[in-house]
Amino acid sequence: MKPSATQSFSKLIANRKVVVCVGSGGVGKTTTSAVIALHAAIEGRKVLVLTIDPARRLANSLGVTELGNDIQQIPLDQFRQIGLEPKGELWAMMLDMKLSFDHLVATYAPDAKTRDEILDNRFYQYFSTSLAGTQEYAASERLHELYMRKEFDLIVLDTPPTSHALDFLEAPNRLADAVSGKALQWMYKPGAMTGRSGLGLFSVGTSYVIKTLGRFTGAQLLNDLSVFLRTFSTLFEGFEQRARKVQSLLLSDKTAFVVVTAPDTLTIEEALYFYERLGTSRLHVGGFVVNRVHPMWVSAARLDAPAEQLSAELQALAKDLPAPAEAIDFDALASRLLENAVQFQLRATQDEHSIALLDEELPGQTPVVTVPYFSLDIHSLEGLDQARRALFE
Amino acid sequence: MASAFALSCAQRGERTLLIELNVKDKVSSLFGAQHVGTEIVEVDENLYAVNITPAAAMEEYALMILKVKLIYRAVFENRVVRSFLRVIPGLNELVMLGKAYFHVMETNAQGKPVWDKVIIDAPATGHGIFFLQIPSVITSVVGSGLMFDEARRIEELLQDSERTALALVTLPEEMPVNETLMLRDVIRDKLKMPIGCVIANAVYRPLFDDNESAWLDEASKAAEAARAAEAGSVNASLGGLIEAGRFRAGRVRLQQHYIARLEAELDLPMLRVPYYFMDRMSFAIIHEMAADLERQLGPGAPNKSNLTKSVG
Repeated sequence: MKPSATQSFSKLIANRKVVVCVGSGGVGKTTTSAVIALHAAIEGRKVLVLTIDPARRLANSLGVTELGNDIQQIPLDQFRQIGLEPKGELWAMMLDMKLSFDHLVATYAPDAKTRDEILDNRFYQYFSTSLAGTQEYAASERLHELYMRKEFDLIVLDTPPTSHALDFLEAPNRLADAVSGKALQWMYKPGAMTGRSGLGLFSVGTSYVIKTLGRFTGAQLLNDLSVFLRTFSTLFEGFEQRARKVQSLLLSDKTAFVVVTAPDTLTIEEALYFYERLGTSRLHVGGFVVNRVHPMWVSAARLDAPAEQLSAELQALAKDLPAPAEAIDFDALASRLLENAVQFQLRATQDEHSIALLDEELPGQTPVVTVPYFSLDIHSLEGLDQARRALFE
Repeated sequence: MASAFALSCAQRGERTLLIELNVKDKVSSLFGAQHVGTEIVEVDENLYAVNITPAAAMEEYALMILKVKLIYRAVFENRVVRSFLRVIPGLNELVMLGKAYFHVMETNAQGKPVWDKVIIDAPATGHGIFFLQIPSVITSVVGSGLMFDEARRIEELLQDSERTALALVTLPEEMPVNETLMLRDVIRDKLKMPIGCVIANAVYRPLFDDNESAWLDEASKAAEAARAAEAGSVNASLGGLIEAGRFRAGRVRLQQHYIARLEAELDLPMLRVPYYFMDRMSFAIIHEMAADLERQLGPGAPNKSNLTKSVG
């Protein structure tokens, strides 16, 4: 018999050492990452979840006030209240991008002087978290570092919401390009920006080009920037080698990518685009999680039944119930219940449709697990457990 | 949201320009108009749209200053210069803002402003903040030069409450509300830009009052018990209708909680946009949203600002 989607998904998570959750913004990636980590911890593994969002509410619902840039343990005993038997450990950490990048600079600067020069540089202070791909780069370096420590059976990584799924993976390369590109090396040379060096390659017209650029940016900026890039580039000696290590971890069968999405057509289309792009980079997408799927509460036939009939049923039901605080107009309630059900029926049908589209586009062995849209706040022990059961049971 | 807001301005008779920033064009499909590219196109009566990309803005800007296309080519299409420009952090954002600034200040032959209102669909919070702080970062890092002057002019416009208002768009849910509160702090304390209003999007219309909602909870238990006991008296599909009703009531309560939180913590006018059950946005929906916004804004709508940004 073909295993169900939740069975395949359970197996996938159980067999991996790194799970990376990717997806558009606002689809519940952080919560999904936490739920995956929670499940593995309950099953008996020692798990670390790295989140990007401050997600204070999620932290609170897990019984800690706040997630910080240091690894902290999440007490799992509280889940006994709702009848679970946690066997492993759950640890969590929020990746502060600025601190992670500072950490990177401190680790890889050739000496203390260079380190301070970079950290004190005005450009660095403003742009360390917004230079092309630095955020994503810092996150993937941190992941690799933690992985190499071999303290955890599983690391779940929540990624920054990017409009381009692969920013995260391409970041190491793009950053390397940005600071080590041939064209830029030209700038690192002292005096290049003031046009004093005799550059064979660009000598004709170079000083004119620089002068014109200087009108835009102010000459001081060009100089400052070239000094910054020159210092910064010293960090990246051996950089490509490290980038390759991170990539080989992400490409290996120890890692699975999980695409998290919402069920509306636009977001599903984006998720499929992520899937395709990850595939072209030979990255293994292990499964899809579709959050906030509207349940199909009522059959279409039922919606066609007249409101009077529903009103009569409600009144029959009311006979066995304690009287409401105020009298209820059951005819009015019946027609509003129908109106409501018709609206959600529309949504549920659309969700069903777009999930079917997703299934169609994916090879059979890729599990698509759905988490229903709950009426209760997901940020509670019960809410998290409900989501956990939807994914794994 | 920016489209609906722009449409409501246009329908009030204001000549409105809607600016998308280097994104996949969404405006044209909403308005059933031709593709919105880097040239301004009319998408509806009084309503024009343009998609600003860094490359196009850079060329336009450089040409404006250099005047001569040949020089532009020599300087800006130089391979080295191109790769250099790519790594100047924030330059892309600055030229895009610069182009928006140009449209705000643009006047016709009679010296009257070309646009009554310019609406910018700004990026989501994280990138949005980066975007808005670019001018002040540049004025503090760079001491002089054309880039400095440009940045200072843009900063002045963005901080002028007579001309600019930021509209914060959010969902009444945990994470988006936290993000919005954080965004407000940054805008108020660091960027010092005026916020016009906060817009809560996708708000469910309440269908059941507390009394009915409490009764539905009881009814749900009874229906569940009847189903478990296989008592034939309760129609099985009745349960589904009740559950859908309870879902609505539960979500409405959650949303009201977050709207109350926004109202308590943000001292700002709040607009609400209803939830639409249709999956894809269409012109009909945008039109309805625009009418709805206009009702909430009332006749004395904040007309003074000619630059509005939606962030979120």
